[in-house]
Amino acid sequence: MMHCTMDDLLALRAGEASAWARAHAAACATCRAELEALYQRVAQLKALPTRRPARDRWPVVREAVIAGRRRRRERWGVWSIAAAAAVAGLLVFRPFGTREADAAELARVKQESATLEQQLERYDPDARVMSGRTAAVAAALEDRIAVIDGELARVGPPDASPRPAELVKLWQQRVDLMQRLVGVHVTRAAYVGL
Amino acid sequence: MTISLAVPDILVARAKSGDLEALEALYRAFETPVYNLALRMLRSPEDAEDVLQETFLEVVRSIKQFRAEGHLWGWIRRIASSKALMRIRREQVRATEELHEEATAGRGGSGGVVPARIDLERAFERLSETSRAVVWLHDVEGYTHEEIAEQMGKTVSFSKSQLARAHARLRGMLDDEGAVP
Repeated sequence: MMHCTMDDLLALRAGEASAWARAHAAACATCRAELEALYQRVAQLKALPTRRPARDRWPVVREAVIAGRRRRRERWGVWSIAAAAAVAGLLVFRPFGTREADAAELARVKQESATLEQQLERYDPDARVMSGRTAAVAAALEDRIAVIDGELARVGPPDASPRPAELVKLWQQRVDLMQRLVGVHVTRAAYVGL
Repeated sequence: MTISLAVPDILVARAKSGDLEALEALYRAFETPVYNLALRMLRSPEDAEDVLQETFLEVVRSIKQFRAEGHLWGWIRRIASSKALMRIRREQVRATEELHEEATAGRGGSGGVVPARIDLERAFERLSETSRAVVWLHDVEGYTHEEIAEQMGKTVSFSKSQLARAHARLRGMLDDEGAVP
């Protein structure tokens, strides 16, 4: 005698069984017992004991939130200065040949840096879990970017800087580091499928 | 595990505004259900804790997008199951699941009479990660096959066949150990 398969039993439970399966289950004590066992298994699964995590992960989440907010504030600070500097720089450099070229290059690298910042925002690195190695590489790059930002703040806006070429060089270094930082997050996101 | 977690709207509103105390209150409210969901799907307590952390990082990042008319636990649960499934996919790249399932099925198997609940838990842990995920999401969390298929990036028939296969294996394992009549 042919009995219900597990597919038939699951379909019976879902109310989607074939006419044959319904008729057979109604007449077959073995299949009714199998169906009852299925219900019992699921009831037992639902009643499995509740487990609690051994470690409290909230402090890690909290730190990530705070670090993320701090980074965002810092980025906005840098970009406010950068935007003002770009406008001032274009005005100051306009009349001079070499300075004009520097101003154009400065505007270009700043735009590139802004694009990279946006890319980085999309990966939202502050809200992601990273392996220790990746986190160390990212942290090292971020530290170097912070040093460059410090230098940019020290040199000041283009109109106050005696050497615009120095500014361009700093921004180019910043772009290079940003590209590497974005690369770290892109690789990591591709690996974990984010 | 049946979860019925109601969270005051004011708490959600405060969390949306970035209030850390409110965010922590949400974490405390959903920590255990998220951990259990992840643990049942992944089996490893460390992986489950990682999923718990990843889930709440995502919750904190995205809570502004949560619509108040939705069910908060449903929203958080979806994030958690998605994170756990992501981890399963990653594991599948590293190891062939079938081999693991066969290897673990061959171990253990102590005789002796043990409570049925423990036997079921152990049998459930012996299923492949995909099978465990489908059984847990469908039978315990109440996801439909369509929802599971969407989350796993598979077809509805894949979800149905995984469920049938998992129950057939559970039945076989429990019969072997005499836990279920």
